[in-house]
Amino acid sequence: MRNYTVFLKKEIFEYTKTYKLLIMLMVFAVFGITNPLMAKLLPEILGSLMADSISMSLPEATAFDAWTQFFKNATQMGLIVMTILFSSILSWELSKGTLIIMLTKGLSRTVVILSKYTCMVLVWTTSIALCFGLTYGYTVYLFPGDLTVNLLFSTFCLWLFGVFLLAVLLFAATLTKSNYGCLLITGTAIVVCMLVNIIPATHRYNPISLATDNLGLVTNSIEVSSLYCPILISCLLSLFLVVLSVLIFRKKQL
Amino acid sequence: MDLAILKEYLPFLIPLVAAQVALGITALVHVLRHPHYRFGNKVMWALIVMFVQIIGSVVYFAFGRGEE
Repeated sequence: MRNYTVFLKKEIFEYTKTYKLLIMLMVFAVFGITNPLMAKLLPEILGSLMADSISMSLPEATAFDAWTQFFKNATQMGLIVMTILFSSILSWELSKGTLIIMLTKGLSRTVVILSKYTCMVLVWTTSIALCFGLTYGYTVYLFPGDLTVNLLFSTFCLWLFGVFLLAVLLFAATLTKSNYGCLLITGTAIVVCMLVNIIPATHRYNPISLATDNLGLVTNSIEVSSLYCPILISCLLSLFLVVLSVLIFRKKQL
Repeated sequence: MDLAILKEYLPFLIPLVAAQVALGITALVHVLRHPHYRFGNKVMWALIVMFVQIIGSVVYFAFGRGEE
């Protein structure tokens, strides 16, 4: 347990020194501010671009538009940036050989994997919380009185998908030696999830529903209960992948 | 966009610009002080982090940064 906390501290220190923490926070902060702003300004920008001869009625922007931006940005750019930043989670230290020194000194490999995963989840949680907080604050300021439903639950789904994605990433990192291999496997896993999602029957069990159904939840067109199954499956899969990563990393030739 | 609208959105623009500039400057300082890159050269990375907002810095720290 002591090893675990020490290694966790080392991980957090590493993220601050390699600017990864800064990038994550900055990117998500920028998104958090941009979301409501873009929602508010988009009708005005479109209006100013249109010539006088073309008449088109633009609907007034609402809080819902801000949340559309939020879920669009966070599920696409946010997750991509996170995946790229964390793709070197194991390969960096293995290629430099710094991890091998600690492992030969008696640090358990299970501790390495578990604390790395905890640290990634911590960074992801902080970033998404920051983005959500900023979007929420500015949305309330810009669109007072607009109410949205299921907002927290929808964001929780997004967060859980991120946790699942990190588990896939960790598993991919233990399988390969380079960070490009890790990126490739993670990308393939997501593409497979998306392809499977084409079949409507699988939609209820697919973890990717957590990242695609967010807007439906906010507009109340998707039942909350329809996501219980993907939530359960994502939790189980994440657990399974982390355990598998530990087992593989213990056997891995470094 | 006229000045009135710009003034109205100032509480948004200031933190937004501050965050982007902070990220850009951090990356630029790093580019100039650590002249070893995995690929590319100093001029290329300096231009990328200065002119490609957000993504430029992310790509630099993720892929371009060399060993210490």
